[in-house]
Amino acid sequence: MKLVVELNSKNINNYKEYIDGVILGLHNFSVFNNISYTIDEIKDISNKYKDLELFIKIDKNIFNNEIDSLKEILIELSKLDVKIMFYDLSILELVRKLKLDCDLVWSQTHMVTNYKTCNYYYDKGVKSALLSKEITLEEIKNINKLSNINTIVEVVSKPSVGYSRRKLVTNYNKDNNSNFKNLVVREKVTNKDYIVKEENSGTGFILDEVLNGTSVIKDLYESNTNYILMREIDGFLELVKDTKSYINNKCMDDNYIYKYKKLGDNTGFFFKNTIYRVIK
Amino acid sequence: MKRVELLSPAGDLERLKVTLLYGADAVYIGGERFGLRANATNFTLDEIKEGCKFAHKLGKKVYLTLNIVFHNEDIDEVESYIKDVVDAGIDAFIVSDPCIISYIKENFNVEVHLSTQNSTTNYEAVNYFKEEGIDRVVLARELSKSEIKEIIDKTNVDIEVFIHGAMCTCFSGRCALSNYVTNRDANRGGCAQVCRFSFSNKDNKEFTMATKDLNMARYISDLIDIGVVSLKVEGRMRSLYYLATVIGTYRKIIDDYYNNSLTEEKLNIYEERLSRVANREVSSQYFLKEADYTDQYYTGRCEVSNQDYLGQVISYDKKNKLLKIYERNYFKLEDKVELFTPFGDNITFNVEKIYTEDMDSIDVARHPDNIYYIYLDTDLEIGEYSMIRLICKSNYKVKN
Repeated sequence: MKLVVELNSKNINNYKEYIDGVILGLHNFSVFNNISYTIDEIKDISNKYKDLELFIKIDKNIFNNEIDSLKEILIELSKLDVKIMFYDLSILELVRKLKLDCDLVWSQTHMVTNYKTCNYYYDKGVKSALLSKEITLEEIKNINKLSNINTIVEVVSKPSVGYSRRKLVTNYNKDNNSNFKNLVVREKVTNKDYIVKEENSGTGFILDEVLNGTSVIKDLYESNTNYILMREIDGFLELVKDTKSYINNKCMDDNYIYKYKKLGDNTGFFFKNTIYRVIK
Repeated sequence: MKRVELLSPAGDLERLKVTLLYGADAVYIGGERFGLRANATNFTLDEIKEGCKFAHKLGKKVYLTLNIVFHNEDIDEVESYIKDVVDAGIDAFIVSDPCIISYIKENFNVEVHLSTQNSTTNYEAVNYFKEEGIDRVVLARELSKSEIKEIIDKTNVDIEVFIHGAMCTCFSGRCALSNYVTNRDANRGGCAQVCRFSFSNKDNKEFTMATKDLNMARYISDLIDIGVVSLKVEGRMRSLYYLATVIGTYRKIIDDYYNNSLTEEKLNIYEERLSRVANREVSSQYFLKEADYTDQYYTGRCEVSNQDYLGQVISYDKKNKLLKIYERNYFKLEDKVELFTPFGDNITFNVEKIYTEDMDSIDVARHPDNIYYIYLDTDLEIGEYSMIRLICKSNYKVKN
């Protein structure tokens, strides 16, 4: 099982010894980024860090006026040894149409939830899938068991929970005569905070609480998950070092789990089934 | 020239019948599983069969939503359900999962429509699904007129768009707010509409993102002109009265367009009619410009209740000129009301006489769910599912 990270800075150097791969958000084509990378920067990183797997995130909803640029980008990326994390199906269509040799990762956030659809994409030439954060550990294990696709499971992050094309912070500022860049808002019943982050593409919602899946890494390892994903939080370098060491030791060191209880008790949906029919 | 389809929601069998009688060309319904309104009434297999029979007799169609984002346990069970529903006579499935598209196309001779849950926003994504055998794509609600037109021009796939009803704040399918806030799974039919909740920021000021509703009455001509094949109304959980009014009104707009008789004056009347059943303000959202400051609310939930719907007509006694109604809201003598029928007729009149079920003359009909008679002298054909709405309250002083 490999470790992939997404960083909030371009300082890959500090991490390169402890990680197997890194996610790079493509400039103007990715969402929920603190930083993004141009094609030229990606080329440089690809040359510089040959031992790292590069996951290029192209996960915004694509509009007609972006298709031509997207074509050029895909052609450029197909010449590099990188993986392309896609949300919009236009990417799959362009790869097919242009007969590009791309290593694709199905990354439709909340929609990657079952083994059959994973197999469907695998049959289309998509080798990997970033699984939804809203499914249980048991469901993940079953996907690992029943699908051919390489799975990526997000285990540490402040989880993204929604994305709108609307400029919700701009609208809020206009209504309040304020000038916030981002907002932190509290849901009144659960008392949980959400970061409302406006970008060029729209507005994203992020739970302002760390998803702590460190305790499930062993299960993921044993059920043949191919990659775990950690997105940068406070104290990240130490966490990454420890996690790499934990995986290298076949997840046998329980001290790791005790140590990272400090990240909190939010295990997301790993042990929690969502409901969808309300009992009246 | 193929006429555009008016596609209506239907939450149950009665609403399916009413909305088809009021002019919908097709309805979309949810079965007991796998649809995105898990908490709606939804249709049993027998009801689906009956609904299809009713629709097909009128030369109309029934589509079934199968548009949840499937988990392992769902996907294992959906195949047998698909077969049962095909046998019941369904004309098309509305799906979001491409795995289901290929399964249906490979095994059944039935149309498959791509749900808006997939948030399809560009022509290459449409082309992808065309290759997969999709018959129609319901586009994302975040698109402008020129974006929709370009998709139509570059794909040669039937395109359906939403024209009326509630909007999500986020891209459909790209929202798990409900999962995180309420543990209800938005992509499996449990959406708790968290985007209509009120949040607070650090200064304790209110933060809301609830959108106004979509109303495209004024732009139906544009949508037909650019080649949209189906115009969809949102709301499988909406009432009979709402559906009768909204579908009846859009039926008139579409027919007037094809008869070259759609005037500004008529549009104003139709918009006014739609406004009577609206419980939120409306806008055309992304159609003419990027949705902005003006297209949402800033003060929490803003729904208003609507008491215009006075009752449903049970029968009309032509000899005694008495309209028998099942009352839904209070009305009194001299109120100005409008009777409207599934045939598209409307009569406006002042209430002259009201009788109880026992034929006692009264000034006011106070009790919803009761039967009343109203005097009305008309030669018009008044069929089942005709309805009465309030136009203007009178100043009549109630005596009894």
